[in-house]
Amino acid sequence: MRKILGLVGLIIALCLVAYFWEWFQWYQHDRDLGVLFSSNFLSLTNFKNLFPWIGLFGILALAQCLAIITGGIDLSIGSVVCLISVISCILINKGEGWSPFLVFPLVLCLAGLIGVWHGLLISYFNIQPFVVTLCGLFAYRSFARFFAGDTTQGFGNALPNWKWLGKGTLLDWFPSFQPVSGGSSSTLAMIMDLISAPLVIMLFFAIIVGLFLHLSPAGRHLFALGANEESARFSGIQTRRLKLLAYVICSFIAGIGGLLFAFKVNSVQPSDFGNFYELYAVAGAVLGGCSLRGGTGNVIGVILGIALIMVLRNLVNILGIRSELEYVVIGGAILVGVCADEFFLRRSQRKRTLEA
Amino acid sequence: MFRYFVNLLCVTFLAGGLLISLGCGGKQQETSVSSTPESTQQSVPATSKKIKVAFITNNASDFWKIAEAGTKKAAQDFGVEVIFRIPSSGTAEQQQQILQDLITLGVAGVAISPKDPENQTEMLNEAAKKVNLITQDSDAPNSLRKCYIGTNNFDAGVEAGKLIQACTPPGSKIIICVGTLDAQNARDRLEGLKKQIASTNHQIIDTRTDETDRAKAIANVQDALVRYPDVACFVGLWSYNGPAILNGVRDSGKLGQVKIVCFDEEEETLQGIKDGYIYGTVVQRPFEFGYQSVRVLKELAEGNASSIPENKQIFIPTLSVTKENVDAFWSELKQILGKS
Repeated sequence: MRKILGLVGLIIALCLVAYFWEWFQWYQHDRDLGVLFSSNFLSLTNFKNLFPWIGLFGILALAQCLAIITGGIDLSIGSVVCLISVISCILINKGEGWSPFLVFPLVLCLAGLIGVWHGLLISYFNIQPFVVTLCGLFAYRSFARFFAGDTTQGFGNALPNWKWLGKGTLLDWFPSFQPVSGGSSSTLAMIMDLISAPLVIMLFFAIIVGLFLHLSPAGRHLFALGANEESARFSGIQTRRLKLLAYVICSFIAGIGGLLFAFKVNSVQPSDFGNFYELYAVAGAVLGGCSLRGGTGNVIGVILGIALIMVLRNLVNILGIRSELEYVVIGGAILVGVCADEFFLRRSQRKRTLEA
Repeated sequence: MFRYFVNLLCVTFLAGGLLISLGCGGKQQETSVSSTPESTQQSVPATSKKIKVAFITNNASDFWKIAEAGTKKAAQDFGVEVIFRIPSSGTAEQQQQILQDLITLGVAGVAISPKDPENQTEMLNEAAKKVNLITQDSDAPNSLRKCYIGTNNFDAGVEAGKLIQACTPPGSKIIICVGTLDAQNARDRLEGLKKQIASTNHQIIDTRTDETDRAKAIANVQDALVRYPDVACFVGLWSYNGPAILNGVRDSGKLGQVKIVCFDEEEETLQGIKDGYIYGTVVQRPFEFGYQSVRVLKELAEGNASSIPENKQIFIPTLSVTKENVDAFWSELKQILGKS
């Protein structure tokens, strides 16, 4: 709870900083020109842009948090995203190939199989997750490049309805609410325009993963396993099977994320599509309270964590901070967040020991 | 018993590996001793075997697919063997590895598109001592390369500037989108563009980089449209920036309100020009890069340097593609790439 409140506080603080920064820029430059102040950051269009990205990266972070809770890590997420999108683009072949109803279940099965492969190696052959998934990081991207012959793939103009999943909003379903060009839109239309499909899909998966992790016995066992595998095994938990399951779900969700990314971007270059996305996912999960040592973490925190990172990325652009400095801002903010968390944790612990 | 066998196996593998690595080391030393005089190695043409030349790109993209088609055509026309290498991560150190491996393979010449020319000069010079080295696409003027084949990116930037002037009124605000600004071609294009638009007071209000992440390239455009509602034109300096800008503008619902000028010939870019959402694109001729590189390398391998001009730069002119000539250009391109 403390974690979640802290993250919400951090996001609000960031928004305020951005707001005043913009105000300051206006005060310095445009005030005398008679321009009224309006915040670009806290504007509807900006949130409309921001939400789909939070949804897309949030799905990857959810996948990552499952692996992290078991005490492992999945470094192959970015490459799985790439492989899944490349294969589906090739099979669908701009609408002239196989049916999407056949292709998408097929590639998601492939994503699941990748998870089975990881899980088997990790839990039954006792190879470290870092190593297994690192090899995946190299291999899957290379496979993708091989299948695509290093050419850029895409869906072209095909599958407009499927693409809605990656870039659409609720408003697309209700054309009658859409403003006539030039006219102003109603509040309801604006709100529906904010609810973007990837965000909803992310929330859907967040609920499922959340129910699984926090309410089902298997989820509780997963935490126990992450905290101390040995004692979990001795208390009768099927640790191996459970770990396998975690990696399967992880890769499966990453595969879904990959499809959504392909729908959104519609231009998949095998050599760099999804590069570094696993690290954004790790950063989001860690910011959200997952310990890389395993055994802790919660879904709401992870979503807030990834939202914070996406807000930062967006801020850099909106405030006109030089592109070169972007990762300084992101890296710095993550570090500040994690350090602050540690500080408050220690203080509350000290207080508790003093009271006791 | 089992453990004993495992140990034995490990020892054998280790010993074998050691022997092999020693053997290779010895061989390498031998060749480096024998190849000290540069000229001797070059003047030995492979009479029985085909001349082997290599082509190294800086990353993977459709652009290089076209160049590859050019090298294949040249390989047929001139009867040489071409090795085409694409560094997967597109980093300077991977290029170095590939270059070293190719030299070990015994190629007569290498055409490379250096990722980071200034810092790679030493590596290029090292290679130039052993084989005929030319640069293509991106130049390293301070190195010992035999010549450069490619676009004059400054001139390409000037052409893009002309396109901007043709589609926006004087004094308009423009935004530049590019992968990274540390590549020489990006800098040269930007300089040429700036010089051309200076005369009409067009202003560059921002430059956003995306580190070649396409998703981010789109987000950059969306964010720029929020921050600068009065922007008149986006310019994408690298090939994927064109489609990314188009997607970003489309997602923001501003298709047709903002002009787009970009470089290179991605399919989506050409479609965008056909649809009228992109004003124009400045294309290089990668096919010619590939073809001419192989031709020059073959001539160099035969000791003939006559086609290299005094300034050691062979420029292949760019082409501006707009709605008028997009159909003709596209069908020619499809023919080269062998797509229907």
